[in-house]
Formats: sequence, structure tokens, C-alpha cells
Amino acid sequence: MSDKPDPRINAINRAFWDACNRDEFLLQRCKAPACGRFVYFPRVCCPYCGGGDLEWAQPSGLGRIVSFSRIHRPQHPSFFDEAPYYFIAVELAEGPLMYSRLDRDPESEDGLIGHAVKVVFADHTPKQRLPFFRLV
Amino acid sequence: MPTGAYDGVYIVGAGQTPYVKRTEKPVQRLIWEASDLALASAGLGWRDVDGLGITCFTLAPDNVTTMAEHMGLECRWLSQGLYGGASGIIGMMEAARAIQAGDAEVAVIVAADAFDVSSHMSMSRNPGQHDYMGPWGYGAANGVFALHTRLYMERYGATREDFGRFCIALRENALLNPNALFDTPLTMEDYIDARPIAEPIHLFDCVHPCCGADAVVLASEAVAARLDVPKVRMLGGGAIHNYPAHDIYAMSAGWETYRDRMFAQAGRGPGDMDFVQLYDDYPVMSFIQLEGLGFAEMGGAPALIRENDCTVRGTLPLNTGGGQLSAGQAGASGGMIGVYEAVVQLRGEAGARQVKDCEHGVVTGYGAVSYGRGPSASACILARA
Repeated sequence: MSDKPDPRINAINRAFWDACNRDEFLLQRCKAPACGRFVYFPRVCCPYCGGGDLEWAQPSGLGRIVSFSRIHRPQHPSFFDEAPYYFIAVELAEGPLMYSRLDRDPESEDGLIGHAVKVVFADHTPKQRLPFFRLV
Repeated sequence: MPTGAYDGVYIVGAGQTPYVKRTEKPVQRLIWEASDLALASAGLGWRDVDGLGITCFTLAPDNVTTMAEHMGLECRWLSQGLYGGASGIIGMMEAARAIQAGDAEVAVIVAADAFDVSSHMSMSRNPGQHDYMGPWGYGAANGVFALHTRLYMERYGATREDFGRFCIALRENALLNPNALFDTPLTMEDYIDARPIAEPIHLFDCVHPCCGADAVVLASEAVAARLDVPKVRMLGGGAIHNYPAHDIYAMSAGWETYRDRMFAQAGRGPGDMDFVQLYDDYPVMSFIQLEGLGFAEMGGAPALIRENDCTVRGTLPLNTGGGQLSAGQAGASGGMIGVYEAVVQLRGEAGARQVKDCEHGVVTGYGAVSYGRGPSASACILARA
């Protein structure tokens, strides 16, 4: 569906969204030696130490599910055909929290919180591919 | 003993429009109506107003300054709430400081919106929601708070029935409120069998977007002294934003960081409160507020609700007008409905839903939902003057 809401691409986030379109997972990382943390969502500065020197780097693409919801009523009609689906919060192995979706329904909701996941890429709109997550 | 943090300031009036599903009235008119009712209840007129604070998600292209112009007000103090449902209380705290400093004598604090489900679903334009949750079909606020609800249930063993008890008590209160949107009882069966929206959130965990407005009037001691109306004082208050900065799922939005100071300002504790007006955008956030304010330990709200009657006749009256869950959420008015209700209760003007002999109450605000949560959390303690 092409009328899904696309993210607004700007100078802060362009590298992240462009990388998604190459099926690459690219996040910011703080270059301050005492910090060095990965950052998501994209920022102009490090939210952990306040430093202004960030570089783009590849995290592992691994994480675990912090919480989830089976969405029946999406916020936009362009998603209605796909509902219900699993919207998830993922704690990436490198620390940041990322919202995404499971690429396919789990067999059971038991043990879903804390379950390991890895990033996969999926079509969103003609303009944009998105990182989804798969149970591993 | 109270510290006198808000000495010299009185809440002298409160007004609320009926909450309705649809209206032909523009939000500017709703703002005027609630403010006009509040001024009338204070025995004041529009020419007395020299301070105005507005929160309204659908006010653009108007803003608080053009609204002062629109209504012909000459104001020395203006403020526009940018903290979502935390804005009403923060606006009152700011207005009180302005009045204490002599920068204003009479301030109207008002919130209004004309909302329906689609405006509720589409209003979230900030980066956190629009760009980093929206593309994945997050379900707007329902999806945001489904994740908190899921984790609260997982962490503390809370059940849907626990949230249901809260919603049912609020509905009982709403049935006594002529301004409330809902006028039929809610049973546990209705609650449990409701259709899923964003599991574990079902229909009656969600507020009903609607149209309405709430306002209060704050005045200096000199002005208040000549008004022959019941008055209310703010004894304590606080706010915090983006807390804790790096833990969205802390099951806290920071009320515990200032509750001791706030209760010390008031010289009162949670046990002295005759009612609590919680920001009930979702039951889980109300539970987290009860815990953050010290009415229960973390994870203790389900037991607190089980052990108390939370209706206006009960041992722990909550959201005595029905709250947003049963009176309705008129957008930004969600941050003022509890303030209005508290002032009316403390003035003894709550009619059939009057909490008997109430003298003190606490009100919370919460909102500005962005990346995964509402970053803004406020609260205040009000008392019969």
C-alpha cells in the first residue's frame, strides 16, 4: 500500500533511512571515548553524555523483545488489511530501544517478552524499506 | 505545616462545557464558553482578566496571543501549554508564580478541543511518534500504552479485571455527572468482552475522543478578598519531564521525584486526601500515578483498587466526575478535567457526585506522548480555602 505514512527524511535521520533501503542496519554511535554508546532514534547529539560527535556504525541487528501489542486498530487505514499484527519494543543488544514489528506472527505469546530477535528488512512504501524483527 | 509555597493565590472559579461527541462549535468558542462559566462562578467579568493560559491541540492557526486579541483581552501574562495533559496543572503553577510576583491579578487557565477518533489518531506529528513509531503501524496512543499495560501485567501480575474495576468505578461516578459523555453503566462483562483495540488494551481501556472545554480562574489575594464565592487554594505542586531519561519502561513518569516535596509544601500526606483526580488516559497510567504519588507501592495499585470503593461514596474516591475514561477526552481538556472536578468538589458544588465534607484532593497531569511514552508528568494538591 503506497499511502502508508512515510517517515520525514531530514538531515538528522537521512543516513538511517537510506541504509534501510540498502537492507543495512545503521545507527549512530557516540565518539566520546568515555561514552561510545549506540544511539537510536537519530539525534544531533548524544543523549547519554551530551557530546556532539556521532558517527554511523553497524550494530549487530540482535535484540530482545521488551513488550508487545497485537494491534487490531492501526492509526491509519493503510494498515487495516494487515491487522492484526505484532507491534514490538526491542532492546537492541547495543542498548537502544527500537519500535518495530514482528515479520510474522508468533506461534504463541508465551515467552514473547524477553525473546531474542534479529533485524530483517521489509517493504513499506515504494520509497522506503523498514527494519522489522524475526524471532530467533 | 504547609510551607506557603502558593500563598497569596486563590482559585476562585471553575467552568466546564458539557462533553459531547460532535459539535459545530469551533474550539475558540469552547474556550470562551468554559472560561465564561468559570468567570461567572468567580463573580468576575472578562474585563478583570489580565492573564490567560490556553492548551488546545487544534487551536492553530490561532494561539494564546491571537486568542487574547480575539476575545479583546489586555493581558500582562500569557502562556500556551506544550506539555499535553500535564499542561493544565503546569499552567496553574506558572500563573500562581506570576500572580505572586505581581505580574497578573486574574488569570484564566483553560483547555479545550473538538476531537473525534480520526483527529485523535492523526494528531501525533512529533518525531518520536510520527517517524519512529508511525511507519510500523503502532496504533497511535492505544499502541503506545498497550506496551506499558502488557509490561505492567507481566511484571506485577495485574489482570484485566484489575483495570476493569477501576473503569467500572469511574463509570459509576460519570453517571452522576450531567456533563459526562457516557450515561449507561459498565459491567465487568462489558469490560472483558469488549473488542480488542491494541491487545491487551480493549475498547473500555480507551478514552472516547470528544468535544469540550474546562477552565479555572486564579486570582490574587486582593481580588479574592472581595469575592463572595467558595475559594480553593493550591498547597503544593510539581512537574518533571522526560524522566527517567533512558528507561521508557520504568513504570514511572517521575511523580515520586517530587511527591515528598509536594506533600511537604501542603503539610499533608496521601492519607489526608479526600479524593484523587488521576490523569486516566489509560488505566495503567492511573495505576502508575497512584504508585508514584505514594498511595501504593510500585505494583500495588491493583490491590489498592480491590480493597477500596473508588466511587464518590467510597473509601478512595477517584476521578469523581468519571474522568476521561467515562466523561470523555476532549483532547487537551484531559489535562484540565481533573482540575475542574477538584475545584468543584472543594467548593461543594458537585451536586449528586459531591464527596462528603471533602477538604483536600490531589490532581495529576500527564502527556505530550512522544517516543513510547508521555514525557511530561505534573501534580498538585488543592484544598478548600
